[in-house]
Amino acid sequence: MSRIFISCDEASILSTRDQYNDLSPKEKFRIKLHHGHCLGCRSFDKKSRLFSRTINSLGWVKLSKSQKNSIKKILKDAMNK
Amino acid sequence: MPEVKLIPEKWVDRYGDYLFNFTISRVNDSIMAQDLVSETFLAGLKSAHRFKGQSTERTWLISILKRKIIDHYRKSNSKKGQAEVRMSYLDNNDQNGDWMEEQVRDLRNPNVEDEIEQKELGVALNECIAALPERYATIFVQKTIDKLDTETICKEHDITASNLWVIIHRARVQLMDCLNSKWYKKD
Repeated sequence: MSRIFISCDEASILSTRDQYNDLSPKEKFRIKLHHGHCLGCRSFDKKSRLFSRTINSLGWVKLSKSQKNSIKKILKDAMNK
Repeated sequence: MPEVKLIPEKWVDRYGDYLFNFTISRVNDSIMAQDLVSETFLAGLKSAHRFKGQSTERTWLISILKRKIIDHYRKSNSKKGQAEVRMSYLDNNDQNGDWMEEQVRDLRNPNVEDEIEQKELGVALNECIAALPERYATIFVQKTIDKLDTETICKEHDITASNLWVIIHRARVQLMDCLNSKWYKKD
């Protein structure tokens, strides 16, 4: 039975992994079962989904390879001085 | 806490993207952000002898970057900067009419409001990420923003997959609390 029923600690980790689509069908079943009777974990799952949506809605920018190379060159030149 | 040593050769790969994102959410100009990031690294290199090893490299570089951003705004708000702004307006819009009404963005426009809100949220989130322990922040950013696969991150940090998920879970909980206090409660 302990393979099916999980603790709140395990459920919260599964809930986090679910945000990254990392759950197997068995784990999905376990977490659904847990959320069916645990209001606290269900509420955490809702907040976690909202947080994921927030992060995904933000436009994250990165340095391009050429930008990185140009900064590396400036830094290297300064180190060799 | 063990003493931290600076490794400038790895700064760009380790902190480049994070510092760039941190800067662009504040200055809104890609070229200026790149310049500020490289100036930060150079200033870090120059004052490396003053680094006492009591904070992490990232925290130290962020504190330098924050000063650089303040200097940037100070410079653009100086008399010379304001004069340049006025000059460019007169040059491009030398015509009659109420320029205030023509030029000022309409804040009632939901797109503009959304844009401002997203920008402020980005700043708040960056500050929350900066407050995380370095290991948590790096792993969180690699998994969530860089979307690296679990195996690659585990190999890089020499941790198991379950350790990785515990770290990401804790980082997310701290970030949610931080955003809650910095962002959602301000309304």
